[in-house]
Amino acid sequence: MKLTFEVLFPALRPWVVNLVNVWPAYIIKPQYANWEVLHILSLTLLGGTAILMNLRLLNVGITEEPPSEIYRNLRRWQDLGVIGIIASGILIGMANAEKLYDSTAFVVKMCALLGGIILTYGASRPVARADGAVSSSAKLWFLLGALIWLAGLVIMATGALINVGLYHVITAAALVVLIASRGRLRWIYLVGLLALIAAQQGVTHFAYAGDDIHHLDPVNKLFTWLLAIWIVGAGLVRLLLTRREERQGVFVQLIAWSTILVWITGGAAGRWIAFE
Amino acid sequence: MVREALVWLQTVLGKGTGDTAQSWSEALLGSLNFWGLLEGTHLLTLVLFAGTIFVVDLRLLGVTFRRTPVSVVSDKILPLTVAGFVILIATGLALFFAKPLVYYHNIWFRAKLVFLVLAMLNIVVFHTRVQKNQAAWDTLATPPRMAQVSAVLSLVSWLLVIAMGRFIPYNWFDCGKPIPHVVNVLQDCKTSEHGAVDAQDMVKLAPNSGAAKPQGAAQ
Repeated sequence: MKLTFEVLFPALRPWVVNLVNVWPAYIIKPQYANWEVLHILSLTLLGGTAILMNLRLLNVGITEEPPSEIYRNLRRWQDLGVIGIIASGILIGMANAEKLYDSTAFVVKMCALLGGIILTYGASRPVARADGAVSSSAKLWFLLGALIWLAGLVIMATGALINVGLYHVITAAALVVLIASRGRLRWIYLVGLLALIAAQQGVTHFAYAGDDIHHLDPVNKLFTWLLAIWIVGAGLVRLLLTRREERQGVFVQLIAWSTILVWITGGAAGRWIAFE
Repeated sequence: MVREALVWLQTVLGKGTGDTAQSWSEALLGSLNFWGLLEGTHLLTLVLFAGTIFVVDLRLLGVTFRRTPVSVVSDKILPLTVAGFVILIATGLALFFAKPLVYYHNIWFRAKLVFLVLAMLNIVVFHTRVQKNQAAWDTLATPPRMAQVSAVLSLVSWLLVIAMGRFIPYNWFDCGKPIPHVVNVLQDCKTSEHGAVDAQDMVKLAPNSGAAKPQGAAQ
């Protein structure tokens, strides 16, 4: 499937093509690389604060302080990151508009941006501010944000040439579960994860020739599913194990995981625009 | 010497026999998806690494987590930073291995390494000097000037490492193009397969090329 903004809004092409001639895009174009640096720096600020704030909701990180204290200290820096990615993104997007108009990865990125803002401001931050108490509005925002994010993941998974970018999201999810799990669960999870990776490498490198795409493609897709199921499964086991201790545990953990991964999805989709 | 080793790394190492045989470096660069995954992982891990180290630096500057001891912030955040750094180095080495000669003759890559070394030196100085009396200022909202200077150096050097890294793929100063003499020297273009062309030499000929006849032509 090649879902692009061209497919969604076919009449917009002349307007999109002309964006590069509009102020300030024609000023930005020659300094494109500098604005890309600003885009990446904003993403690091946003990503770093999102990771720290949401890991705290998973009881990892600065556990000496309550989630509300982490939120209070990081929120302004996170705001700066969000404003930075949007402002620099609009500028470099205008200077590069036609490529984005024809890009499926860009649709994924916009889903992740919208889902990320809803999850961060509607669910994750209110829950952190309330030290883990989940209000009904936070639940609603979570459902809406997660739905948009999952739609982005489906578009990525079905998009030719960009579906490999899903491995970034899977890798990040694998690391979050590894960091957040404890004791025996962590070891069982890690051994299973390594076994799956070894099995995939073994089958794809020794059972079939490197150019045998006809066989390699379904094998890789199967292993992608197995990895995703193993990681999400381990996450769910952790989630159920901690449920008794914390009444709000399930929603808090789902919010924390999805809020970290939605920004990873946005970053991965952004990078894969160049590989499409 | 270094260049010869890199030529070997890029074109010889792992190369089998036959007309279509590739070295490991060429195979990595020509891979369908692996190079892209490495590149993407390098960028995304940067979010983990830089995003977390920035927060520690901001604590040292006294602008965030002012009520939390510096040791708590660094002890809890830096393991994440180190994990990110390990992945960054691993993916960075693999990316270098895919195009060693391109990076070797790239001014931005060389600058990136310089700022990387400066950032590492700053970490060493922080651990051996600045942290010596940390017990005295660990709980202060605003750490002493030495710690603040260290934080600023860290922020600036990592920012420059990131910027230089982003500039690497741009071809503004590729060897073989007319570029300033100093850049030709700094990225050792003379030994590259594209040679060194000084922009200054080009300018002399360009404005009134009609007048630039061989000496004695007017006679």
